[in-house]
Amino acid sequence: MMRAGLEHYLVVSFLLFSLGLLGVVARRNLLVVYMSLELMLNAANLALVAMSRFNGNLDGQVLVFFIITVAAAEVAVGLALIVALYRRRQSAHVEDLASLKL
Amino acid sequence: MSVSYLFLEIAVVLSGLGLLLVDLWTPAEHKRGLGYMAAGAAALILAFSFSKIVDPGVSVAAFGGSFTQDALALFFKRFFLLAAVLILLMEVEFSDRITAGITEYYALTLFALAGMMVAASVNDFALLFVSLELMAVTFYVLTSFQRTRLGSLEAGVKYLILGAVSSAILVYGIALIYGSAGTMNFTKIADKAELLKESKIAVFGFLLVLVGLGFKVAVVPMQIWAPDVYQGAPTPTSAFLAVGSKAAGFALLLRVLHGAAPELLLSWERLLMILSGLTILYGSLCAIPQRNLKRLLGYSSIANAGYLFLGISAGTVAGVSAILYYLAGYLFAVVAAFFVICIVSKANDSEDISEFAGLSKHSPFLASVLALSMVSLAGVPPMAGFFGKFLLLKSAAEQAVSYPGYYVLLGVAIIGVVISLYYYFEVVRAIYWSPGSQDRRVIILSKPAKLALWTCAAGMVLVGVFPNLVARATDAAAAALKF
Repeated sequence: MMRAGLEHYLVVSFLLFSLGLLGVVARRNLLVVYMSLELMLNAANLALVAMSRFNGNLDGQVLVFFIITVAAAEVAVGLALIVALYRRRQSAHVEDLASLKL
Repeated sequence: MSVSYLFLEIAVVLSGLGLLLVDLWTPAEHKRGLGYMAAGAAALILAFSFSKIVDPGVSVAAFGGSFTQDALALFFKRFFLLAAVLILLMEVEFSDRITAGITEYYALTLFALAGMMVAASVNDFALLFVSLELMAVTFYVLTSFQRTRLGSLEAGVKYLILGAVSSAILVYGIALIYGSAGTMNFTKIADKAELLKESKIAVFGFLLVLVGLGFKVAVVPMQIWAPDVYQGAPTPTSAFLAVGSKAAGFALLLRVLHGAAPELLLSWERLLMILSGLTILYGSLCAIPQRNLKRLLGYSSIANAGYLFLGISAGTVAGVSAILYYLAGYLFAVVAAFFVICIVSKANDSEDISEFAGLSKHSPFLASVLALSMVSLAGVPPMAGFFGKFLLLKSAAEQAVSYPGYYVLLGVAIIGVVISLYYYFEVVRAIYWSPGSQDRRVIILSKPAKLALWTCAAGMVLVGVFPNLVARATDAAAAALKF
């Protein structure tokens, strides 16, 4: 049976990261955009944990804890923003964010 | 002891927490004045930064090498503290336009300040991420603080989405660098520079980190957010973004490029030059048709990031020293401009340039400060902006001997300066030579606002007239880096 090596983890994390980026660019609903952002951060987490395991030190895993915390803070702010925006516009779509223009 | 080098940051965080505590016992009508307390605390900490306890006089590595306290770090910390004092005074003038939670607004400004100050000392990728995010998350809140105004919310959402994308890219870059170097410490990574230069993964990682930091300083192609966010955010927040967040981005760029990747800095010279040229052209050209003064300053801040990148691509002591000098002049000019916008737009909540028509008739002091700031940003001698641009161009010209591509870049920079003269003087023209509406009330300035405006005006002139005084400090700070 084949064992999973570092490159397998990196390929998966790269795929997740690309999917997340694609979601941020292509999706129109703000909630889905936030979900895609989380996917990008977690792809980086996966890469860090795998690198940490194969480097044989724990620095990467420590950073993962910081990233999880920061991601939670970011989403808390983001959801609060969506609620405030929804109260004003009755919508959570990217197209409705177009009042700031030349 | 290691922790003594963190006293400044600890003091800033404690004054933010103390402010929130005092808020509980303060009646609603006096809460506005807490901003003076916050500004006073920041000013005291600024004075304390000159004491022997926090300033060792030499370069010191603390906390297992992840934190450095040297002349460069202290220069940036004093810069951020001074900016925060002026911006907190601006926030007090702005307080009547914030419906609820003015104390939180002051406190969050202090927390963002703490993030910037840590960023100045970063010598480890984990600390870089934490300081950057402390800044970013507080700025998301500060940007959308006027939550009943649609523009502010929209700016907040845009900044959050683009900011989160850029930090995800940054983290992915850190993961790749960590994977190939086996450590996050800048000094240890620099020791393996020869090895890492061969590794495509590590080079790609550094490129992603450059993208993440480039977002903070609004350099092309990561500049999309700046105009919208500057226009929509509350005016003091725009000012803090333009001064603090941008300077912190440059502090981190200098730390990463000189601390962790000195070899790459050389091989990326061309890339950095192209970024610099594109940023100058984009910022200058897009600023021309703008009618909203805050949006105009957003584009001007993009162009300024391009000029500062001249110093980064030069990569010499002279280049870094010129960056610091330019930032010192930029601080006073930008804070002065936003301060005047904040006061003048109080009456009808519009920042259109036509609002400033005839300003010289009814408030000559405000008009002259705004004009001084525009003249300094445009780079007219003898203002601070002139010597800053001169030093940056000179540092790039010195490199042109070894690499002729710099002549093209210098040409682009000079074209940018000429274009910028046009749009800055458009504002000056509106202030002095356009007939304004007659029914204007006289604007009464509070004493602290007057003090802050006089400080900015004096700063813009003195930094320009006595360049040697400032240049001595910036040279000493720049020498702390490795070249």
